[in-house]
Amino acid sequence: MTREVYIRAARQISVQLPLSEGWMDAPLYPEGPYARAVDPDYRHYFAPNVARRLGKLLKRALLTSRLVMEESGVSRPGAIITGTGLGCIENTGIFLDALAREGEGLLQPTHFMQSTHNTISSLVAIDARCHGYNSTYAHKGASFECALLDAFLQLREGRVETALVGAHDEMTPDYFVLLKRAGYLGHAGGFSGETAASMMLADRPGDGALCRLRGVELLYRPGAGGLRRALDSLSREAGVGLDEVDAVMVGANGHPPNDRVYGEACPLLFPGKPLLRYKHLFGESYTAPALGAYAAATCLHRQRLPAHLFAGEGGVERRGVRHLLLYNHFENKTHSLVLLSACGG
Amino acid sequence: MDELILNLKREIIEVLNLEEVKPEEIEDDAPLFGEGLGLDSIDALELIVLMEKNYGIKLSDPAQGRELFKSIRVMATYIRDNRKK
Repeated sequence: MTREVYIRAARQISVQLPLSEGWMDAPLYPEGPYARAVDPDYRHYFAPNVARRLGKLLKRALLTSRLVMEESGVSRPGAIITGTGLGCIENTGIFLDALAREGEGLLQPTHFMQSTHNTISSLVAIDARCHGYNSTYAHKGASFECALLDAFLQLREGRVETALVGAHDEMTPDYFVLLKRAGYLGHAGGFSGETAASMMLADRPGDGALCRLRGVELLYRPGAGGLRRALDSLSREAGVGLDEVDAVMVGANGHPPNDRVYGEACPLLFPGKPLLRYKHLFGESYTAPALGAYAAATCLHRQRLPAHLFAGEGGVERRGVRHLLLYNHFENKTHSLVLLSACGG
Repeated sequence: MDELILNLKREIIEVLNLEEVKPEEIEDDAPLFGEGLGLDSIDALELIVLMEKNYGIKLSDPAQGRELFKSIRVMATYIRDNRKK
């Protein structure tokens, strides 16, 4: 018998106000093609001797993780699963720059230790003294969805009762230039952001779960037929008809080649459904879909969809939300569908 | 010597990311490890890298580091007598 899966708590540090749902009513709109996350004052959360060893990404990951553990009442999650496209890229850059500058003769230990992708998940586990399942997915734009799918399957099958899922990516000025040259970022109409999102998944709602996670589908080059089949399967397994879905949240980012995929698929797959966006608030990054999931979970918990989330002109705030579907793709290769429902929905 | 001590304190603050510490708060003769700044073994590695990078002093014997990193003054004295940069 499969179990229900709930999102018990979720926290973010991004280009919006950190650790806050302020974006629901007063969103920030960063100017220019490149925006760094707004960091909280970490001195309030970390002792100086702990903070000095941690790069910004690690501080963000650790803080959001600690907060969702505290808020969900789960001090030792059964699994800690992280998605990250770039890992600790800032420390990696510092470490590699120093190696190049010093003729590969000197290695800076702290930056070296923090230059791998799986530093994040392991640091969270060490901090929580958690010896359970620990995994990191680094699959560019599908990193978060891989982590979410892993957690979802383990919870559904009863292998774990709780899973801390994180999605963390920073963007350095140097790496932004590289991605801009490659045509992935820096286009007109959108901006590059940073992601730090942690969420606690559990097989029980506890006190005040944000929403239910009904299903996750991850596909590689599915084509229209593949997407349709995945959608039908998701709907059937969750017992939620597509006509019951209130709106579809998509990963449109203002970049024509990216948005064209949604423009072609959505009218066929979700005819007449209101479309929501989130990257105009949080920006683009490899793990930005985690902020979409966080935003959708928050909307379901608060039972309202702010007007500024609706794609196109003339969005009107809507109250009473039962089911939201997230649809993201990365370079039209990996596509993901995530279905969330209000608790009791 | 005083200038070298001050520079060394600034370099240690930077390389060990001791954001909250000011140079004048580090006592010249206070122990760097355990008490005082409370540094640990990873910091020792960072200090070894600092010595080589900034002063051209290569430490090959770990036991040497234990003696050398007793305090800022001991470090500065060693640097003054052995620096190659």
